[in-house]
Amino acid sequence: MRIDVVLRYVGIVMLFIAAFMLVSAGISCVSGMDSAFYPLLLSALLTILLGAFPLIFVGRSDQISTKEGFCIVVGSWLVACVVGMFPYLIWGGEFSLVNAWFESVSGFTTTGASILTDVEILPRGLQFWRFSTTWIGGMGVVMFALVVLPTMGRSKMTLSSLELSSLARDNYRYRAQMIVHVLLVVYVGLTALSTVMLKLSGMNWFDSLCHAMSACATSGFSTKNASVAYFNSPLIETVLIVTMGIAGMHFGLIYATVTGKRNNVFRSEVTRWYVGILLGCSALIAVSLYAAEIYPTLTSSFRHAAFQFFTLMTTTGFASADSSVWPPFAIVLLMFGSIVCACAGSTTGGMKVNRLVLAGKMIRTQLQRQQHPNAVLRVKLDGILQEDGVIHGVMIFIVTYMLAILAGTVFATMCGVDLMTSFSGTIACLGNVGPGFGEVYSMGNYAAIPSAVKFFFSFLMLLGRLEIFGLIQLFFMKWWR
Amino acid sequence: MTGMRKRVTVGFLSIVCLLFFSGMVSFIELSRLSRDTGEILGANQRNIELAREMLDAVHAQNVAMVRRSVFGDRSYDSLCRAGVDRLEEALLTAQEEALDKSSLDSLAFATTELRVMTDNFLASGADASAEAPAAALPADSLRRSGADSLGSRWYNETYEAQYDKLISAINNYMTSAQGSLAPRAERMKTNAYRAVTPVLISLVVMIAIVLMLYYFILVYCVSPVERMNKGLENYLLFRMPFTVKGELKDEMLTLKEKIESLINLTKQSK
Repeated sequence: MRIDVVLRYVGIVMLFIAAFMLVSAGISCVSGMDSAFYPLLLSALLTILLGAFPLIFVGRSDQISTKEGFCIVVGSWLVACVVGMFPYLIWGGEFSLVNAWFESVSGFTTTGASILTDVEILPRGLQFWRFSTTWIGGMGVVMFALVVLPTMGRSKMTLSSLELSSLARDNYRYRAQMIVHVLLVVYVGLTALSTVMLKLSGMNWFDSLCHAMSACATSGFSTKNASVAYFNSPLIETVLIVTMGIAGMHFGLIYATVTGKRNNVFRSEVTRWYVGILLGCSALIAVSLYAAEIYPTLTSSFRHAAFQFFTLMTTTGFASADSSVWPPFAIVLLMFGSIVCACAGSTTGGMKVNRLVLAGKMIRTQLQRQQHPNAVLRVKLDGILQEDGVIHGVMIFIVTYMLAILAGTVFATMCGVDLMTSFSGTIACLGNVGPGFGEVYSMGNYAAIPSAVKFFFSFLMLLGRLEIFGLIQLFFMKWWR
Repeated sequence: MTGMRKRVTVGFLSIVCLLFFSGMVSFIELSRLSRDTGEILGANQRNIELAREMLDAVHAQNVAMVRRSVFGDRSYDSLCRAGVDRLEEALLTAQEEALDKSSLDSLAFATTELRVMTDNFLASGADASAEAPAAALPADSLRRSGADSLGSRWYNETYEAQYDKLISAINNYMTSAQGSLAPRAERMKTNAYRAVTPVLISLVVMIAIVLMLYYFILVYCVSPVERMNKGLENYLLFRMPFTVKGELKDEMLTLKEKIESLINLTKQSK
């Protein structure tokens, strides 16, 4: 493996991140040279130096091996998280080393969990940097590496294979360089559209842009301590529900739908399941809220139920209400949404609806096989015959995901965190959701969690973002030939 | 500059820049820290000095007032006025230098009251001790008391209360002025943090750059030389063809080509 080549491309990603730091510093400058200007400028300079250094020595490479591609992706994520905490650390305030690391990882992995007890105290420049990390993360650091990679064809596909789940790649039907184009058009377009809609709904431009970036990246960072509940506007919530819902769909399918292609969201079996789960569970939660007399009318129950379920299932994590006081049935459904999450090929984390649908079909096939032992039964998804390797991979992923939840819960409880916080916090971090229940409920934050658990949770965020095996593989590089 | 020289130079220059940069940040922040510390200590000392000056002035004025009002000694008139003047002067200085001027409001009010009271007393009691407190005491008090004891009564009932009020205001000024130093101390703490953190981060970045530079020098300079050395050794000892494994760049590639030319020339000359 050529480490120098890996360093070169990780360096390019760092230069891209530095550009966003400079933009944030510019915003800080425009906002009357607030206290974030100096930390952001300093961080940008250091990141530029660090990113540009390998470019002095290493020239462009036309071919990148799978192993090198893997290292570029994982390296980019890790280094992005490290340099991402520079502005926080230099600014100070609530950002200790662990807190800055947690906030940075939370941003780049689009988790949206925060350690800040008072978000509104942050200067505008630093606020924008928080949203930049999440927006960059939403697209995937690797996608930026793809944009700037001068090589064409195979190397791009090599890099994308880790960031996008294998299930997502099956659906694309585009050439590798087209993927970048598709992602950019959908992502930037959705962000711009959402910003305008939020502005028209009553937010100011800054809040509109920040919330749109957050919703498109399915992150959940907000400029307000009370999150979306601060605005108390059904219109804003509706715009965000639609944005989050779309951001949770396969980007290739969105592009295909917009451009009038045949392979679109309406024909996708996974998308139908996704929308069905979203609407069905929202309705069930609304009924339970109305029955428990949490809200006076069925309409207001549905408003909050839909927003909370959409925000958790799409792994966004905004809050329009305190869901920790909701009935147990509603909480269980919200947790279900946090585990399943949205579609592969989107910016969301978690287990993905695709895997859930495949698992359901496998269960059905297994039952049929017991009834008809000699029958030849195959599993299809979206009309495509699924290979045994894919099905096997799905089952292993689900089992590993559950084991990771178990391990996270055990570790957190071992560190003195209560069971509900440990369990829901682990689900929220592994699935890149953000809020959970207990201490880390929708209106709360991760500030009171012990440092060791914060560090472990940030590891879970990276684990979830890199589809578990992506990060685990890093520890077994020695045996990778 | 050619390839390798340029790269190594740029590499070392980056480290130099980083060293200079972190040094400058430390210098600026530590200078600010030092200045803030000096300012805090200076302000603290000045506050104590001014408060002491005020207390001395009030005390001197009190002694003079006792002499004037209780014993009717008119030679203390000027001392009474001088005491208030001294207090007002110290107050004016404090107002000019104070960070939080609101803490001096009650003191300024009490000083003005003292000035009015003193002036009225001295003006009205200039020729007779019995008339002196007429301006300061209510009419029924005057009717109830004898003329001889009026001066001491005025002192006990009116002046002493004002005196206590003034002492209390000075004490408040002392404590509130000390309290107003807290934000500056907090800023100093932030400055200390800001002086250390960028330097620490710069150091981490510098370590990363040094490690990268070490790796690149190893890969692009040391390793090719070793490989060429090995190739030359094989040629000289075993007459094997001169080959260098792996890709070479810049001066190393030129060197390899020149060695190959030299070998070819040697072969031709034989």
